[in-house]
Formats: sequence, structure tokens, C-alpha cells
Amino acid sequence: MRTNYRVNSGVRFELLSRDQLQELFEGVLHVLEYTGLDVQHEEARDILKKAGAWVEGERVRIPSYIVRDALDKAPRSFTLWARDGNPKHNIHIGPGRAHFGPGPTCVNFIDPDTMERRPYVKSDVPTVARIVDALDNIDFCESLGTVGDVHHDLGALYEFAGMFPNTSKPIVAWSYDWHDSAGIHQIAVAEAGGQLAFEKRPNYVHYCEPLSPLVSTFEALDKLIFAAKHRVPLVFTPCPLAGGTAPITAAGIIIQAAAESWMGLTIAQQLAPGLPFFMGGVLSVMDMSAMILAYGAPELSLFMAGITELAHFAGLPLWQTGGCTDSKTFDGQAMIEGSLSCFFSALTGGDLTHDVGYTESAMTGSVFQLVAMNEAIGYARRITRGIEVNEDTLAVDVINAVGPNNHYLREPHTRRYFKSEFWYPQLHDRRNFEEWEMMGRTTMKDRTIDRVRDILATHTPSPIKPETHRVIEEVLAAAEDRVRAKA
Amino acid sequence: MSTIYEELATVVIEGDSKQASALVQQGLAEGLTAKEILDNGLIVGMGEVGARFKRGDMFVPEVLMSAEAMQAGLQVLRPLLASSGAKLIGKVVLGTVKGDLHDIGKNLVGMMCEGSGFEVIDLGFNVPPERFVDAVKEHKPDVVGLSALLTTTMRAMGYTIKALEEAGLRESVKVMVGGAPVDAEFAQRIGADGYGSNAVAGQELAQQLVGAA
Repeated sequence: MRTNYRVNSGVRFELLSRDQLQELFEGVLHVLEYTGLDVQHEEARDILKKAGAWVEGERVRIPSYIVRDALDKAPRSFTLWARDGNPKHNIHIGPGRAHFGPGPTCVNFIDPDTMERRPYVKSDVPTVARIVDALDNIDFCESLGTVGDVHHDLGALYEFAGMFPNTSKPIVAWSYDWHDSAGIHQIAVAEAGGQLAFEKRPNYVHYCEPLSPLVSTFEALDKLIFAAKHRVPLVFTPCPLAGGTAPITAAGIIIQAAAESWMGLTIAQQLAPGLPFFMGGVLSVMDMSAMILAYGAPELSLFMAGITELAHFAGLPLWQTGGCTDSKTFDGQAMIEGSLSCFFSALTGGDLTHDVGYTESAMTGSVFQLVAMNEAIGYARRITRGIEVNEDTLAVDVINAVGPNNHYLREPHTRRYFKSEFWYPQLHDRRNFEEWEMMGRTTMKDRTIDRVRDILATHTPSPIKPETHRVIEEVLAAAEDRVRAKA
Repeated sequence: MSTIYEELATVVIEGDSKQASALVQQGLAEGLTAKEILDNGLIVGMGEVGARFKRGDMFVPEVLMSAEAMQAGLQVLRPLLASSGAKLIGKVVLGTVKGDLHDIGKNLVGMMCEGSGFEVIDLGFNVPPERFVDAVKEHKPDVVGLSALLTTTMRAMGYTIKALEEAGLRESVKVMVGGAPVDAEFAQRIGADGYGSNAVAGQELAQQLVGAA
């Protein structure tokens, strides 16, 4: 029996102290109370005013007790459900659990056949969703692109309609406006078996993006209000650039981003107390020579680690970022930037880590980057799982039984643990030179390409209900009618 | 009749020693010959194990379990095979060369070879060239396997092959080499007949060298 025995399960990572986090926390409340944000949505302003916020024109300042109340209501732990009930595809959000998935809205795509960069089209959506569905370490789905070959108002709807039947993993859905959100919700609810069934087991998350610095735009809030009223879990994630649209210091950008996100939190919790809410956003540097938001910068991982700790300190899950790169192609830079940010996200326990598979600073989605990062995440997850210490793992008796100059390969102990203690790479090569040569001297890139094509040739996701197919057709037809009527 | 062969192959793949030995008994009771059971059941199972290992679908601890199951079956068959005059697929003399005290890798090759139907004579570790020569004279093996883990001792492989040549025995046996510092090019340079990069590769090489693969 062990008494007063402390276990560190997994690797401990800590960036900021509680004192520092408390200071950041107070800083966020200060910004919300004294500076406030422009809230460009009348209903949202009314909700906030009724809650006790000070509204002057568009500017809304929120006394800190209201924000604290919202933080108190939002859950830290909850489950996002696989649409088909597959328990392996459920995501349990909670302390110490990091999950990964692609990002949305890249305009270009690396063609899986030609490997050339080209505009993202409708038929790419099922490709990405099926690959997500097949990968062990990718937990949720986004499409890696903005559908370019449909009416420009309908890209988000076609995107969801393409993802939903092709993966049973929970989807994070973005939309242009309320109409999209309603259509997306109709599809998800049809599969869940009604609104009430959906509320009990939500199968998608709604993504909204406010504007930095300090603007809650009409579209972001309109979608947020729709989602809150229908109890769709929310991601509310700004995308500030340090030195451009946010303070250049790490602490400063974290405070501003948190304030932007918590404005959404406050509105959502007023409408739907207890609604699962992921705090955002994507924090990185504006590269001072290229003038882009750098997706492969070490500061991104550092800022994201800081805001993840702040979110957890405040009792919220975080929308993390990783697996992305500024590189234009499948090269060393892409692997370094992608792998290190995945590892860092895993260390922080970032609740949903998105943008896995982004290349060219979020301009181009790549399933090759995604599949390579699936390997990096597996690697990272083995490390973060840590070292288990108990009587059996100590193996003192086994060491005694085997003795000097013998081996452990035949020990039952070895057989019991060899699959769980070791991580087995799927793409990394560990063969000797001759075998590697015999197998065609393949590189990581070659093997990644093979894996992508193998998944596309063989993987079949579990189907949606036939009636959901009908609902998808109806929703798309109604949307086409709507844009035709508008024209 | 064919189902017992399939069952035998399956228990070998699953590494179930108890079942392997029981099924061999059952096969004998049903009137199958030892040679039939070996060739159509046990060896078929080990063949599949080797293929799965190469594909990455099985791992070393599992392969060793299969080899143990194979041996459990063979233990029942061995006296019968001997008395019927049926030959095992071949005989291997194994040893870690002079100056080298590492014998785990060599032991694994030995297990795998036994598991695939070879008779194995293990000379242990730190084996000087003259003991290999004596063993070849005494046991008349098909294959001699030399192992070394150290770059400092791998040269002793060449001296051992030379000793076999000088004793006029080189033509009577195939020589295979293995161990961490060794590669195919080195094997060729010292005049060996082949190189195995791991225990399963070593076993397969032994099979090839006796023309059984």
C-alpha cells in the first residue's frame, strides 16, 4: 500500500505561474470593463445591457462580475459526439486532454493527384473528410478550404454538406452568415434525431470569428446568437497579429484576444447558460518583413501556450493551433514548424488544436501535411503520456528473473507491454540501409503520398441516415433558390 | 484432415504452445505422419508469421511466441522424425565469434531457425575459429551462422571463414553472418554466403541457403 503518494501522469508543462495568470486574468477583466469593445449587433447589445453592461453607441463595457458569472456558467468538461455513436470518435473535453484537427477556409489546395497548388473546389471536401476519418490522431474535422466552385455565398454550406457524410468525427463548422448556420444545423439535427437529441449529444461545433482589435462584428454575433439559441457548442476565436492588430508583447496580445473571446462568451452564456464554449483565438506575429501572419513562428506556439493556460485558469477549454507551416511545400521547414507546434499543443493540453494541414501561412490546405502531422501527433502523444510507475512497471522481479547476459524478449512482461509502452511509427522509416534500399529508397514525402492515396482508395466512413441525405439535398436546393432570388 | 493443418498453422501464428503440442498429438492420433504435420501445419504457420513480421503486422515478441509454439509441436515430432529417417529442413551451427560476449541476437536467430524446422547447434559466445572448425567436422551442418555485435570483433568473422577454408571445409557449408555492425557489403567482402539484418531475416536466409525457401 502506498500512502501520501503523488503521481505525475504524463509530462508536466507549465509556462506561467498562478500569480502571472491572475495578472493576465485581471488584465482581461480590466479591458472589458474600462475599454470595452464595439459590438456591432443590436440584439447582442440589448442582451448585454439587460445583463448590466454599460452601452454607449456601439461600445459596450462589461463590469467584471458579469464576465465572472459567464465564466462560472461555462463548462470545463463535456463531450462532443460522433454522429454515428462510435465511441472512438467521441471527443471528451477536459483537463489534460489535447485533440487535433484541420483548419478551415484556405483558398488553395494541394491536389492529391498532381501535388500542384490550385484553387480549392467542392470535390476536395469529401477528400479531406475521409482522410480525417481514417487518421488515428486526428480527432475532429474541418475542410482545409473555402469551396471556390459554387456561388460565393454558399461555400460554407457546401463544405458542411460535403464533410458530414464523409466522417463521423465531430465537425467544427464555420459559416458566412445566419442562413448558412441554419442550414448546417438542420443537417446535423436531422442526423441526431431532432433538436432535443442534438442538445444532449451535439455532433458539431459552431465557429465564429470576431475582429481584432476589439470588434464584435455583426456576422460573428449573428452566428453566435443562432448557435447559442440552438445550443450548438461554440468556438469564438479572434485572430490578432502581434505588432499589427494587437500589442506586440505576448502578454498584451493574450489579454486582448481573451477580451475579444470573452465578449462572445458573455453573450452566449446569457442566452444559453452552460453552453460549451471554446475560447480562442489564433495568436501570432505579423512578420515584419513579409507582412503576413506567421503560422510557423515559435511565437505562435508560445502565445498559444500562454492563452491556453489562461483559458484553463479561467475554467474554459481552448481552441489551440498547431501542425501548420509557412512553407509552400512538403519540406524540412513544413515538418519542423508543424511538428514542433503539434508537440507544444500536446504539452499544453490545448483542447481542440486546429489548423493541422495548413501550409503557405493558411493560404493552402494540404492533406499531405495533415497526414505527416498525424505521425507527429502520435509521436507527441507518446511523450505526453509519460512514464507509468507501479509495481508491475518497475519490473524488479523481471530483472531478477532474467539476470545478467540474458534477454527480455521472451518475458511475459515484455509481451504484456510491448504494444502499449512503445509507439509504432506508420510513416517514419527505421529499417536498415539494405532494406530501405530494397523498398525503393523512399523518403517521408513518398511514404506520405502513398498513405494519402491508400486512404483515398480504401477508407469508407460510416454512412449517414438516408433521411439525412434528403435533408442535405433540401437544404442545398433551398440555398440555391435563395441566392438565385437575391440575384 | 485439412482443418487440423489450418488449426495448427493458426495456433503457431497465435503463439499458443499448449494448443500446438495438443494438436500435433491429435494429428498423430488421426494417422498423419510426423513429416506431414511438420510440412503442412507447423511450417506453413511459421511461413505466415515471417510474412506478417515483414509487413509490420507482427512484432518480435509475438514472433518468438510463435517460434515457441512451433518448438512445442516439434518436441513431440522430433523422435518420430528421427526414427522414420525423415530429415528436418537442415542443420545450423551458430556462435558468436571470438572476443565477443554478446549472444542475444544469435540466440534469437537460433530460436527462429528451430522454429522453422532446423536443427540448431549453438556453440555459445566467444567461440574461437578452431571450435567452429571442429563443430563443422563433428555435426556436418548445412549452414554456419556467425554473430558479432562489436566493430572490434566483427573481423573475427573473417578469420573464422579463413579457418574453415584452411581446414578444407568451406565448400561443405554455407556461411551466414549477422549483428549490429555487419552489413551485406561486409559479408561479401569476407567471403560469407549471406547476411541477415535481424532474427527473422537470418532464419529466412538459412532457409534460402539450404534451398528450402
